[in-house]
Amino acid sequence: MYKLLPNDPIKNEPAKEIVRLSDNAHIPFDEANRDYQEYLEWVAEGNTPEPADE
Amino acid sequence: MTRASQLSQVANTYSNRNLIINGAMQISQRGTSWSHAHDGTQWFYTIDRYEPYLRSTHSTLDGTWSQSTDAPNGFSNSLLWTTGTAESSINADDFFYVRTKLEGQTLQQLAYGTSSAKVSTISFWIKSSVAGTYGFSIYNQDSDRQVAIPYTINSANTWEKKTITIPADTTGSIDNDNNASFNFYWFIDAGSDFTTTSQSTWTTYSNSVFAGGHSQNGVATTSGATFAITGIQYEVGESATEFEHRPYTTELLLCQRYYNFYEGDNYSCVYSTSNCFTILDLPSEMRAVPTVGYSDRRAGASAYYFTSYNYKRRVQLLSAGITNGYVTNVTLDSEL
Repeated sequence: MYKLLPNDPIKNEPAKEIVRLSDNAHIPFDEANRDYQEYLEWVAEGNTPEPADE
Repeated sequence: MTRASQLSQVANTYSNRNLIINGAMQISQRGTSWSHAHDGTQWFYTIDRYEPYLRSTHSTLDGTWSQSTDAPNGFSNSLLWTTGTAESSINADDFFYVRTKLEGQTLQQLAYGTSSAKVSTISFWIKSSVAGTYGFSIYNQDSDRQVAIPYTINSANTWEKKTITIPADTTGSIDNDNNASFNFYWFIDAGSDFTTTSQSTWTTYSNSVFAGGHSQNGVATTSGATFAITGIQYEVGESATEFEHRPYTTELLLCQRYYNFYEGDNYSCVYSTSNCFTILDLPSEMRAVPTVGYSDRRAGASAYYFTSYNYKRRVQLLSAGITNGYVTNVTLDSEL
């Protein structure tokens, strides 16, 4: 399971990372990162990350 | 040609020839002991660059990986598996191995996929409480090809050096990038789905070749049994040379391309009236933008952005909404 982050408060842009809830690790949106590759596979299987906190 | 230039050429021929990182099992940033069970996490990194995989198809198998001080002469450490609860028998779809991977850009000198492809050699020291024939294979994931060349442990509880010549592959190419290309597998157990076909030349992947020739599953089926490995060297050429012992700091830097650990509290500096960054220096450019883990952080931030400002050469952890942040026991992971 994964969770999105709210917009970055400094640049006011969408965050470029996601949180893996099993260990709270932050995973960058970098296609060479294997944790991000696993996340993309998880999404491709039809899963959806939890929304960001308001 | 001067004597100095002759010596320089000799040095260049023989240094940096081992493509394997941490082959002597010296570097272990993640600790020194790890439990591994059939009903737990299937794979994870132990000693730097070494990743065991215990398939969940097993019924009871568990045990411990450790950085051991049992090693052959000239080495200080090995990666040791000790079986706890044994598996009563190995099912056809079971496998259990330890592997290490290399980036494609490290392997370009092999000239795979061309008529100039080169032969290579892997050598390693191995010791097990159970003698027999064990599977070894290499998988080139860029071209979906593999070789599987088993080896035999002749005597129980004795360090033995094994050398395996890897044929050239004029068909399967290797991508020139920072992604995984070669996967090296040493099997501890494997079921019949994966063992029927040993393969001394490169071929397209099939399950029957994956652990081809592996026949000894006694380590997995015997409580207290052991399997240890060290002194891994992979080099271009038709024969194995003496293991290349690199300085500790050199080996550590090579490992830090894939993993870094920042022990203790890492305090932040103020960026604005409501945000702060913890900035961590990287000793080496990382392979990819790393995943960030931690054991604790100062509470109260509206959100934490631990990779959005990160790059391969610099790491900045943003705690939003507070100016006095810290992040404890930070791990940076860009493993293959």
